[in-house]
Amino acid sequence: MAHSNMLEWIYVAVVVALLVYVGAEAWNIERIIDHAPEDAEIIKVTAQQWFWSFEHENGTKEIGELHLKKDHAYKFEISSKDVIHNFNIPEYVVLLDAVPGRINTVWFSPTEAGEFDIQCREYCGLIHYNMRAKLFVEGA
Amino acid sequence: MVLELAKARPVWQIMFSTHHTDVGLLYLVFSLLAMFVGGAMAIALRLELFAPGTQIIADSMDFNRLFTAHGTTMIFLFLLPSASAVGNYLVPIMVRYKDMAYPKLNAIAFWMIPPAAVLVWLGMADFGWYANPPYSVISAPAPAAEMWIFGLKMLGISSILSSINFVVTIMKCKHPDLSLGKVPLLAWSFLSSSIIVLAAMPTFAAALLMLLTDRLGATGFFNPAVGGDPIAFSHLFWFTFHPEVYVLVIPAIGMMYEIIPRFSRRPIFSHSSGVAAFVILSIVAFASWAHHMFATGMSFTEKTVFMVGTLAAVPASAMHVFNFLATMWNGRIKFATPMMWAVGGIALFFAAGAGGVVNTAMPLDFITHDSYWVVGHFHLFVFGTIAFGTIGFVYYLFPYITGRMYNEKWGIVHFILAFVGACITFFTQHILGLFGMPRRIYDYPEIPEWVSMNALISIGAMIILVGMVIFLANLIYSTAKGKPANMEDPFGLGGKYYYPYEQRNPHH
Amino acid sequence: MRTIFGLLIVIATLCIIPTLDLVFAAETTGEYIDRKAEIWNLFFRMMTVAFVVGGVIAGTMVWQVWRFRESNPNAKRTPYEEGES
Repeated sequence: MAHSNMLEWIYVAVVVALLVYVGAEAWNIERIIDHAPEDAEIIKVTAQQWFWSFEHENGTKEIGELHLKKDHAYKFEISSKDVIHNFNIPEYVVLLDAVPGRINTVWFSPTEAGEFDIQCREYCGLIHYNMRAKLFVEGA
Repeated sequence: MVLELAKARPVWQIMFSTHHTDVGLLYLVFSLLAMFVGGAMAIALRLELFAPGTQIIADSMDFNRLFTAHGTTMIFLFLLPSASAVGNYLVPIMVRYKDMAYPKLNAIAFWMIPPAAVLVWLGMADFGWYANPPYSVISAPAPAAEMWIFGLKMLGISSILSSINFVVTIMKCKHPDLSLGKVPLLAWSFLSSSIIVLAAMPTFAAALLMLLTDRLGATGFFNPAVGGDPIAFSHLFWFTFHPEVYVLVIPAIGMMYEIIPRFSRRPIFSHSSGVAAFVILSIVAFASWAHHMFATGMSFTEKTVFMVGTLAAVPASAMHVFNFLATMWNGRIKFATPMMWAVGGIALFFAAGAGGVVNTAMPLDFITHDSYWVVGHFHLFVFGTIAFGTIGFVYYLFPYITGRMYNEKWGIVHFILAFVGACITFFTQHILGLFGMPRRIYDYPEIPEWVSMNALISIGAMIILVGMVIFLANLIYSTAKGKPANMEDPFGLGGKYYYPYEQRNPHH
Repeated sequence: MRTIFGLLIVIATLCIIPTLDLVFAAETTGEYIDRKAEIWNLFFRMMTVAFVVGGVIAGTMVWQVWRFRESNPNAKRTPYEEGES
């Protein structure tokens, strides 16, 4: 080899160090957001072609809209009745597949009152593009 | 290798030939045809998405069929065959052998592709090129779905046969004086990608068969009602298709390894580093598949494992970038069309990779999963890196194949339009994804940011279209009427840079 | 050397400030982790890294492409050209 490869080794070391940093940070944040608080209210989310339905702990059912309270913690138990969908509240970075035969869970706490979009984020057929719902967060 | 269009050979002679240069030409012509077909589909999609509401596509089902066909066409009918084209042309020459190891098998591998294309294009399945069940089992209409499945079965077999040929040619048929370590990097890229195909493709063959039997009602692999799991398909699919994306990019990097040293008038900075990077990439490619499935409800530990596996592939790619930059250093670079495409490709390669690292940081996937960020990301790879490398190499091979030169000025114009168009289209898609727009949607609500960005993206796509029309015109015109090239040194580089070994096509 | 040093300073900043933030922050709004803020925070830190590294690489390429183009008045023949025309 005609060239000294020291520079290349340093370069690779810097790249690896950056990647370790990225990986460690990502792991840490995932760890923090993963753990749902005990007092989170459970909301059952059911996806089907092509609408969303919700059931609160007290039995209240909602279709196409979801009413929650600000600063309370909620844990979604998400499933599907037919094909794979994906429950997504983009504003609150809530995103998880709705898979038939399985219940996926994700938790969050809305920090602001207002009206937010809920959309489907996994192709599910004809009306996937319009499989939307509304989230209403009541400020208290 | 020269087509010798002055005394044209009958087309049927090329079509029935098993000589590697003829098979290479068939692959090349077919893959470019598929590129234009897939591109036309993309333009239709972008015209529809230009604004909210209906533009030119009346029905969401037609839109769904188009994006499925677009993805399938571009990956299986353009990128894979174009890599095979280059490999067929040059691998036997690079290893100093008279043809591929199995010439007849080679021709068969090619000829499986057009019927498969017909099946895919006539079927127009609508379930996306991932074909995720249960949708692809229960909802997707027959016979479109079955035609897609059979088409892809044939394409998979073609890929496997082609890979067997490359591996045997390079490892067993190379000249006895040529050690494997000294084989050119372009040949190494075909060796790596072929070995990946051999290891990864059978899993998809199994998945396709399982999908078919599920559709026929004979089985319930992906049906939770009878104990199956739809996510199992995703594992099988991505176990093949994550390594497959490396199968797509590795030959393009190999092509850049041909162009960059030649046009810099310097040898590659470190041949052995290039070899090592290809080998590492081929192995680590298998460690990351489930990063496509971070949103399916995997556990924290599973996600961490795949995040680490994904990150592990980055240093190998970084080694290639270093190699290219170090090769150009202290060179005397001629920025002819092929070189511009290669260098532009490296620039976009980095951007694509950086976006990928963001996706693999587990929590960030909650922002980007199935949004336009992902669309922008992978298009920066498949268009910005792979297609750039491939198109640059087509320009590079043009005098070699036809004996004529393409129009250099129009080649540069094509590059500028493609680069500017790619930046506008795909970088904007990243931002659109951050604003939450899902992918695979026919229409979208009138959110102001979405509306303005979609319009901008569609304009970028039109810029790429103009460049591609120029490309097509350049190819056709120059093949017919281009100036005869100086076959010793078509690019005026200094003459010592072509392969010293000529190949004789027995029909010429 | 200086670029590497500069890069390390940026990285240190990106590590230390969020860590301190996490350790010392008294969350005033409610008792729960703000999912949105944590994730976007991470995103912007990753973007900083990506753009710094991207700037270095792109900057190198742009400079290189300019300096070593054959039409540059300072362009020298490479040792591999063997004095051809």
